[in-house]
Amino acid sequence: MTPTPIKRAGFGLAAAMALALPVAAQELTIIRAQDSNHYDPPRTTAQSGAEIIFMLSDTIVGLAEDMKTIEPLLASSWDVSDDALTYTFKIRDDVSFCDGKPMTAEDVAWSLNRWQDPETKSPVRWRMGDVKSITAPDTTTVVYELNAPHSELLYQLAQSFGSVIDKDTYEVLGKDFGVTGFNGTGPFCWESWTPRDKVVMTRHDGYNWGPANYENRGPAQVEKVTWQIVPEAATRTVALLTGQGDISPYIPFIGYSTLRAAPNINVIKSESAFWTNYMGFKITKDLVGDVKVRQAINLAVNQEAMAEDLFFGEVEPAYSYVSSGALDYDTTLDETLLKYDPEKAAALLDEAGWVLNSDGKREKDGKVMEPLAISFTGEWQQTSEAVQADLLKVGIELQIEPMDSTVYWGKSATDEFEMYVMGYPYISAGDALNLYFRSANIPTPNRMNWNDPETDELLVAGSQATNEADRAAAYAKVLHKVHDNAVWLPIYHRPMQIGYSTKLAPFEAHNIYGAGLYKGLQLTFIE
Amino acid sequence: MSVTSTNVPPAPQTSGSIEGDVSQEFTAPARAHWLRRLLKDRAAFLALLTLALVILGAIFAPVLATHDPASNSRSVMTPPAWMARGNAEHWLGTDGQGRDIFSRLLYGARLTLLIGFAAVGLGGFFGSLLGLLSAFNERIDPWIMRTMDVLLSFPAILLALALVAVMGQGIVPIVIALGISSIPDCARVARGIAIGVMKQEFIEAGRAVGLSNLQLFNRYLVRNAISSIMIFISLRFGQTILIGATLSFLGLGARPPASELGMMASQGRDFLLFAPHIAVIPSVVIFIIVLSANVAGDALRDVLDPRLQA
Amino acid sequence: MISAVLHRLVLSVPVLFGVLLFGFLLVQIVPGDPAMVVAGPTATADVVAAIREEMGLDQPVLVQFWSYLQRMAVGDLGRSMISNKSVTSELGAALWPTLELMIGSMVWSVPVGVAMGTLAAVVRGSLIDRAIMALSVAGVSLPIFFISLMAIQFLGVKWQIFPFIGRPGPWYTAEGFMALFLPALSLGSILIGPVARMTRSSVLEVLKLDHVRTARAKGLSETRVILAHGLRNALIPVVTLIGLQVGYLLGGAVVTETIFSWPGLGRLAVGAIMSSDFTVAQGTIMIFALGFITVNLIVDILYSLLDPRVRK
Repeated sequence: MTPTPIKRAGFGLAAAMALALPVAAQELTIIRAQDSNHYDPPRTTAQSGAEIIFMLSDTIVGLAEDMKTIEPLLASSWDVSDDALTYTFKIRDDVSFCDGKPMTAEDVAWSLNRWQDPETKSPVRWRMGDVKSITAPDTTTVVYELNAPHSELLYQLAQSFGSVIDKDTYEVLGKDFGVTGFNGTGPFCWESWTPRDKVVMTRHDGYNWGPANYENRGPAQVEKVTWQIVPEAATRTVALLTGQGDISPYIPFIGYSTLRAAPNINVIKSESAFWTNYMGFKITKDLVGDVKVRQAINLAVNQEAMAEDLFFGEVEPAYSYVSSGALDYDTTLDETLLKYDPEKAAALLDEAGWVLNSDGKREKDGKVMEPLAISFTGEWQQTSEAVQADLLKVGIELQIEPMDSTVYWGKSATDEFEMYVMGYPYISAGDALNLYFRSANIPTPNRMNWNDPETDELLVAGSQATNEADRAAAYAKVLHKVHDNAVWLPIYHRPMQIGYSTKLAPFEAHNIYGAGLYKGLQLTFIE
Repeated sequence: MSVTSTNVPPAPQTSGSIEGDVSQEFTAPARAHWLRRLLKDRAAFLALLTLALVILGAIFAPVLATHDPASNSRSVMTPPAWMARGNAEHWLGTDGQGRDIFSRLLYGARLTLLIGFAAVGLGGFFGSLLGLLSAFNERIDPWIMRTMDVLLSFPAILLALALVAVMGQGIVPIVIALGISSIPDCARVARGIAIGVMKQEFIEAGRAVGLSNLQLFNRYLVRNAISSIMIFISLRFGQTILIGATLSFLGLGARPPASELGMMASQGRDFLLFAPHIAVIPSVVIFIIVLSANVAGDALRDVLDPRLQA
Repeated sequence: MISAVLHRLVLSVPVLFGVLLFGFLLVQIVPGDPAMVVAGPTATADVVAAIREEMGLDQPVLVQFWSYLQRMAVGDLGRSMISNKSVTSELGAALWPTLELMIGSMVWSVPVGVAMGTLAAVVRGSLIDRAIMALSVAGVSLPIFFISLMAIQFLGVKWQIFPFIGRPGPWYTAEGFMALFLPALSLGSILIGPVARMTRSSVLEVLKLDHVRTARAKGLSETRVILAHGLRNALIPVVTLIGLQVGYLLGGAVVTETIFSWPGLGRLAVGAIMSSDFTVAQGTIMIFALGFITVNLIVDILYSLLDPRVRK
């Protein structure tokens, strides 16, 4: 225990009233923006769920910060059959759960089987590929058999959904697993969860099987981690500045320059974060059914100005649907991307028959161009208002309906809008394309109603390809196709940025599913 | 205590009569004087003047605005003209999107006032009608007042949240929610005032003369109670605007690009540390409007209710 | 008096039922689809349909209402449709922080308001009276979010006197006590104005009553007159006002709790309604209604204790 941190002493009155806050240096407060609905690995798809689950439990394989290197985690090694249908994992024999019980291959197989069990109703079951069977022939071996090759399998298995949990605890808690309790093999153990307020976790003392991307393989250096929810963006910034929190990956863009200038705060930024914010078009709707209109909208929006003015240069303006750094991105796409050109946009609209009326609005056959965009509140509302202002300049009057994120998901599955907003994490071009452009994924997540048999074939070909060149070629074709059709309006690629107190040793940000702290093994107080 | 009075007894300053004779309070000569007396009160005069200016500004927003309130520019977070880095182009500065704050304020005041007027009108009308009926007819009284109790169990903000969830974001659900949530208060006060009136001798007299219920209600009750009720309703205007702005602050208000003062303040809070004027200016404008409404309402009450004059 | 209280209790039953019905209907017509929420952003349509069926959302409305009433009758508030946490435990966790915040805000603002109002009445017409009244009018005209933001900006960030995120513990712990300061300060400030105004006008009112006139005529000092005869009677409307203000305070608490990340009922209710969490929304509505009925019951009892005319 070190004395009360200096920043706390800044609370003059507290000190004066002899009410110095008893905070041990080994306790860490992480400030975040929102909660997850629960913390049951295969059933939560929230970024805020993943960041907790990664710390409380382990996956069969891990992923390094570069988002490309697969690291051994619960499996110390693995073999893939020549036909890419059978994966044989060698499971470590020295791993134990938080309650002290040893973990075996059986637990791994059970957890993965629960993920793919239709009863579990995992919304992300498709990430597992076409599974034939997952078995544990002995206590240190797991055999994962597929009906068709799944080139991204290892990346998908590194996601939080396949985290290994204790079967016995699950059977006791049932639907309360991840609500009132949790039992995993992660570097931290569940202590408590107050929904919409905080999650508290304590160090897993016996932990020493962390992935190799960490210098410290375990146990974790901090004793206790509190994930505190602070819904107000500006408050998160000042809470970090005043030392009421130690780390926050959820600082609003405007705050970063202040934090970088503050002597007590460091900011890390990772460029290989694969997270893209875009607006999608419901292409079956009249107003945006014409590809020329969609291209015009793409040309009318000034992503660069937005990145500079709205997001203070902290984001990278996006013209492509996936980051150019992502696996299987096709660089020949670069020349075809639609960049800011309002004159060309106006010309395209004229060409498409949408001409300016006396009010300065675009009109065709008595119909005014007023597409409706549904949007989240907060940062997204700012973005859509900027898009709105840009479109106004070419005579398109975008209507915006901002709503709470929880209501948004339901609304975005309907047909009641022309445009919608979405930000999403991905590990590769294939991951992104398979998620959004399969016709089977209509109405959600394929909210564009993009229904193209050739795309479907190419996506299957890509995902079942057994060599990298075939896979890249298939995905490249899809990339060209959807970009040519301008089904999205890409806006920016969001980097992973984390502000943290200088009391902590510098570390590297992770990017997996937006969980910037990943396992938390890197977090250390400087003594 | 009386079993029907789960509701709060009428507050003294708005009650029709504890001792004085209501029927004589608002006789014609008194009415002729109240406006003059009101304007003599310097604070009230100033408040009314401010309100008038704000209302005029709101009405003539399209003429007065220097910019399109929805159109952005590359100069974001420009401070007001009198501050360092400020410029004359945007004399109250620009917001985080580079939109002109002065122009947005004019349009924002428009919406904010509209929400206030509509909600107060809605709630005042139904509330006083229910309250008067309640006082007039003892049989329906408990029913009406129980219903009011139920309504009162839903704070305006919750009601608005629920309505917004049902009807979607916009000013209509906000107006309805604010209107509904001012019904119970208006009804209670109207009832209290009306009960005072009902106790007056002239009601007895009217009954004795054989006037019908409708005549009694219209001619005696409504006419004698309405002024006091109107005062109370005008007193609610400030509070209604305030709650409306708070609701917009929570993100339930107008749809962008329309501007509303509470919404502007809400959008500004993210910039509080860096460009405080974006949140502070609309908040101060809300404050000025509500303050003027409250001061004017107080003065009006003082003038019209002689019992309270010190 | 006891029978009157009992009668009041009986009368609360239809109110409670009305609230139950209203709460149920309200969440019934909300268009947000909880099954979509549970399924998450990347779910496919059949997954959503399956979840909807499992949650009983495909049942007829009356069936849902009946099972809701049955559960209410045995005090089972159900489970959150989103977190699957028991609603009772969610409410229990959120109730204390809100009570703490409300009491914390009233503890300082009511005495301050009463003192200001009484002083203003005593020195009515003077500069002090005018200043106090101006201050309280200003107080009721300030948006609560502005007060909260300014409190954070100055007391929290600039001078770093008080913390402003969350509730690290109950009020009797050092950390919890400090954390309660700013939210209670902000919330209480909206109450001072109404209390001061009400106190002033009702003190003035009472001073005109016969027995006060008599007391004054008997030669008692003005201060004694006010303290002995005026204030007690004058407090009656103030007490009722506070009862009425609980709803307003709760509305303020929604904003305060959001800005200060305070884990209370206001935030719970907003979160639940916004995320179409039917059961939690119903539960919070129940709690609000119960709270309102209780507060008004207490107000009525206090009223009869304070008012000698009613006590008879």
